[in-house]
Amino acid sequence: MLLFEKRENVSTKLKVAIPLISVFLGLVAGAIAILFTRTNPLIVYQALVKGAFSSVYTFSETLVVAIPLILISAGLIVAFKMNFWNIGAYGQYIIGAIFGTFFALNMPATMSRPLLLTIMCLAGILGGALWGLIPAALKAFWEVNEVISTLLLNYIALYILKYLMYGPWRNPASHGFPLSKPFELNAQLPRLLMRTRVHLGLILGIIAVIIVYILITKTKFGYEIRVIGENKRAARYGGINITKNIFIAMAISGGLAGLAGLAQLSGVIHMLQIEINPGYGYTAIIVAWLSSLNPIIAMFVSVIFGGLEAGGYQIQMAIRVPFGIVGTIESAVLFFLLGGEIFKRYRIKLRRNTS
Amino acid sequence: MKLTATTIIITLLATTVRSGTILLFPTVGEIFAERSGILNLGIEGMMIIGAFFGFVAAYITKNPYLGFVVGTLAGGVAALIYAFISITLRGNQVVSGLALTIFGLGITSFYGQRWINNKLPESIPTVVIPGLSKIPFIGPVFFRQDYIVYFSYILVLALWFILYKTKPGIHLRAAGQNARAADAMGVNVNATRYFWTFFGGLMAGAGGAYLTVAYAPFWLEGITAGRGWIAVALVIFAMWNPINALIGAYLFGGITALQFQLQASGTTIPSSLLSMQPYLLTFIIIIIATLIVRARHLGAPKELGTPYAREEK
Repeated sequence: MLLFEKRENVSTKLKVAIPLISVFLGLVAGAIAILFTRTNPLIVYQALVKGAFSSVYTFSETLVVAIPLILISAGLIVAFKMNFWNIGAYGQYIIGAIFGTFFALNMPATMSRPLLLTIMCLAGILGGALWGLIPAALKAFWEVNEVISTLLLNYIALYILKYLMYGPWRNPASHGFPLSKPFELNAQLPRLLMRTRVHLGLILGIIAVIIVYILITKTKFGYEIRVIGENKRAARYGGINITKNIFIAMAISGGLAGLAGLAQLSGVIHMLQIEINPGYGYTAIIVAWLSSLNPIIAMFVSVIFGGLEAGGYQIQMAIRVPFGIVGTIESAVLFFLLGGEIFKRYRIKLRRNTS
Repeated sequence: MKLTATTIIITLLATTVRSGTILLFPTVGEIFAERSGILNLGIEGMMIIGAFFGFVAAYITKNPYLGFVVGTLAGGVAALIYAFISITLRGNQVVSGLALTIFGLGITSFYGQRWINNKLPESIPTVVIPGLSKIPFIGPVFFRQDYIVYFSYILVLALWFILYKTKPGIHLRAAGQNARAADAMGVNVNATRYFWTFFGGLMAGAGGAYLTVAYAPFWLEGITAGRGWIAVALVIFAMWNPINALIGAYLFGGITALQFQLQASGTTIPSSLLSMQPYLLTFIIIIIATLIVRARHLGAPKELGTPYAREEK
């Protein structure tokens, strides 16, 4: 029989050790999954690391994936702090990308680049925020479960995107493929490094992380969402306006996911299409959780997960290991992390005959 | 047979039942898990695990029923991972469920790649029930189906009976309503929750397996396409009652069937907008259902999502 004894406070050592051990065990679990395909996991992992961190170019590709993860996870942290389970970054990312694309396709190519990019970024934030405010309003006014509403909105957003790509926004010159017209240069986020795809979104991500960090640690809003997250009833008795905070938190959370979607289009893909990687919205949930909801740690974890994803694309092409291994490893890490958190809350002892 | 309006409607409704069966299994499974106090949001993951392993087993053995059993068990095994983390280790239920979904989608995409576009050689046989199938209208809709559909009818009735009329049913509802009182009554709360979470996994696996061994007998990555999430929503629609789940599942099965029928008939409505309908309608219905549940003070099991810590008295 296992005996649980509550811990009063958690040592820093434990706080660092649990995520690290979780990542290690997650990789072990992934290795076991790989063994079943009669492949040597060490070769796969070697190729994965090589595909993610071995050269300036591969590392730059890792950063390219890290950018949306940084932006989305920073936003998710705000929502998760108040126990609002925003699983809808996937949809908010898509709607942000669509809003931004509207301006990219409809503004003259002669418009000044900084002006158009500013408009597009604001549109991306607005789109994501509006999509995030739907579940926020439903939760605040009618207590509609946000996990279900945000998830269903993800599918609805995906079909809106498909409708646009097979209908009004399809480029007549794309030979029937569901692609929009390519973005003109003035609608493309500038690159930061020559011969890489690392774009200005990285700077936007770092700014977002700093703002979110200040917001949640130094402001009244940050204090209030923490109280709501820990004890909703206490927050209500303490006179905290829960409705207002849900709205603000989800506007930020959705807005950053929308900005991530816009940045991915404007910085990397340069046109709207159906495959714009909204799945980062799910990966970012793992990133946020692995970072104990600390946006600065999440920024670095995003780079590690960016490496996992970028390396995953590489091994798929180089040694034909299906990309699904990345999701398998990511979810295994999350399982170990969730299970491991018990060591933060309790001392566990083995006893016979407890009753 | 002449293609009259009636035959078209009957065909559509018969498809509705099959399409609804995919949702019916996971919905009733989740109703029981939630009744016991466990909010398992990993249905989508368990469904796709059931769909994949069910498909592979049916393909190798050439026996759809064996595939169905294997897929069902695979869903149950996946639920046990979740149960260990969320019940024994008291991990966050929402995030554990998501992890289970990401795991299911990842592992089936990893192992499933070489099975993509494989089809089962034979479709599942239709079994005409003598007598009942002769009832006008109802007969051809409900009693010219396959064995798995018949199994689902019996299952829903049996589950309704278990939930409201038997001791395990009382224990399970007590564990979800008031775990401490249930414990005092002598109910082993965590064992009850383990069992019904496992059962929920079996059912999610069954729904997924029915999809790939009977409804759409081929393998595609992500073939469950969010049905697991629709099932989570249907639990609220059903107000945690297995009989209502039957209505909800068929309603959504009907929307899916109708949408395919419309697409096949060459309508001018863009197919992406038609494909959106099940999700959009679930979204609207979930809002209405939440309002009804609130107005009637029905509500979710009171301790849904709360881990039971016996020593914290």
